[in-house]
Amino acid sequence: MSEKIIITENLVKRFPVGDGEFTALNNINLSFEKGEFSGIIGPSGSGKTTLLNIIGSLDSPTEGSATVLGHRISDLSHKESAFLRNMHIGFIFQVYNLLPVYTVFENVEFALILQKRSATERKKAVMQALEWVGLENMADKKPSKLSGGEGQRVAIARAMVKRPELVLADEPTANLDAKNAHAILKTMKTLNKELNTTFLFSTHDEKVMDYLNRLVRLEDGEVDKDDIVQPKYMV
Amino acid sequence: MIKFIFKAILRDKNRSLLPVTVVSIGVFLTIVLSGYLSGMLGDMIDQTARFQTGHVKVMTRAYADNIDQMPNDLALLGIDSIHDELNADFPDYRWVNRINFGGIIDAPDDNEESKGQGPASGMAIELFDKNSGEIERLNLVNSLVEGKIPTKSGEALIGYEFADKLGVKVGDELTYMGSTMNGSMAFAEFVVSGAVRFGVASMDKGMIIIDFSDAQQILDMADGTGEILGFYKDEIFMQDQTAKMREAFNAKYADNPDEFAPIMKTLAEQNSMGTYLDLIDSVSSVFVIIFVLVMSIVLWNTGLIGGLRRYQEFGIRLALGEDKGHIYRTMMYEAVVIGIIGSVIGTILGISVTLLMQTYGIDISGMMKDATMMMPSVIKSKFTPQLLYIGFIPGLVAMVIGNMLSGIGIYKRETATLFKELEV
Repeated sequence: MSEKIIITENLVKRFPVGDGEFTALNNINLSFEKGEFSGIIGPSGSGKTTLLNIIGSLDSPTEGSATVLGHRISDLSHKESAFLRNMHIGFIFQVYNLLPVYTVFENVEFALILQKRSATERKKAVMQALEWVGLENMADKKPSKLSGGEGQRVAIARAMVKRPELVLADEPTANLDAKNAHAILKTMKTLNKELNTTFLFSTHDEKVMDYLNRLVRLEDGEVDKDDIVQPKYMV
Repeated sequence: MIKFIFKAILRDKNRSLLPVTVVSIGVFLTIVLSGYLSGMLGDMIDQTARFQTGHVKVMTRAYADNIDQMPNDLALLGIDSIHDELNADFPDYRWVNRINFGGIIDAPDDNEESKGQGPASGMAIELFDKNSGEIERLNLVNSLVEGKIPTKSGEALIGYEFADKLGVKVGDELTYMGSTMNGSMAFAEFVVSGAVRFGVASMDKGMIIIDFSDAQQILDMADGTGEILGFYKDEIFMQDQTAKMREAFNAKYADNPDEFAPIMKTLAEQNSMGTYLDLIDSVSSVFVIIFVLVMSIVLWNTGLIGGLRRYQEFGIRLALGEDKGHIYRTMMYEAVVIGIIGSVIGTILGISVTLLMQTYGIDISGMMKDATMMMPSVIKSKFTPQLLYIGFIPGLVAMVIGNMLSGIGIYKRETATLFKELEV
């Protein structure tokens, strides 16, 4: 039996708006198994990013629960949330969000420094992560010298370097052209297969959907559809 | 992590250059102004001590009560025994006699008619006693505009503007008219041996300086003096020490009801000098407080601007698994590093300029033409060991406080809100 690494039960998230409240997520009941390559899709404002933030322990539910890798998010302190992210969750963003003052190597290395790994261990892990994304020769470059595709590949290396069990990718191809988007998605799919890392996307990009095994469609903060699909592209 | 922080500080000029510059300038100004003010007030006090108050002054109680009138009729008599007592009790001090007196100076022409006349403020000092140190103490040699220091009885120094007013030159005769300590008329003739310029209008326009023994004779003050001034051997005023001396000396005469009994007063008790001394003590504290407040506000704003610019970075770091407390602490480390760099630069520059100002000073004689206050004409800074930390510590503290205040924003914002800064 596959291990469920994300479980949401009757999850509700409301935000205060003026004197009232806005319900961003309503009664979300989902579970994701280890090794899934899934996506939360839906139009802007449907609650995709909010759900991803809660799963990533950056936010907590107003009602109900979200359990990630055995940790109930609403029970975690700031420090415990940070520890969970640091050790087990990788993030990939729409804009690559690399730290501009650091080199490619240092950007990827940062997560491992937080884990207090030794310099030798860090170097080995960073170079391997850069190899995964084909950027081992650009380790000393600054982010400003990279193309959009290269920047996003560094972001993938940064997310993967600590070998997380879960990677959350929020619109990772939104700023990329088709060629680069496919290259990135292939890389992620390969890592998903080779390392059995769970990938959960938030997207409305058709190209991304073509690689996913499961599509959860959100509409106005509620689950509209949850389908297992045959991906168009395999690696 | 520390290595990582250093790299960011060195590479990101926006993160380091502006705060380092602000801290450096603040520390520099604090040190320079503090050194300058200490020097100026210190010089004023030093000059007043040398010319008027001594570090301590002994006189009769009655004289002390009417000191503004230069009341030589209330002078201290039997001064040899008082000197013996002072030398025995306070051997680290040099004790000198002074008589201040007033009168009219008349300058006769070749026909013995008056060609110029004016009121004079006279000061009798121990010019002929080389051990008294009075010539050096009053900087007479350097103050000479023409002529020489009196070397024999009957010679006098005169303020250079006073000499112009009377129309006298070196070698000319002057007649002094005044009153003795007993109230009878006093007349004396002097030869002008030199003209002096002190840079203080009241002295340059009406001062005459004669030897103490001449004044004793003219004013019928044999075995008497108006004042006995005490100077610490290195000419440095020691406030606490003089206060103890005064207590010890005055205690001896506490039971003596005579108004002519001697009394000792410290520099701090004369000519409102206590206020100046307090000012010197407080001026550094005031500077430090103002500095910390102003710099904290400036650095707070600098930190806020920098912090806002860095919310994206904080968001990334949160996503990578750094907790808010760690981010806040690294901000503090950065603040300490930047504060130290800025403070070191500011301290080095500030002390360099202070040392230059201590050597060369600023000539304010042009502004002092009509001054009646006893102030030196060249204001010099004064380097004190205090300057090594007076700017440094506040520079560091202000930088840390500024960053602490601006960094509070990290805590005030929800993680997800901060994280949303990423959604550019």
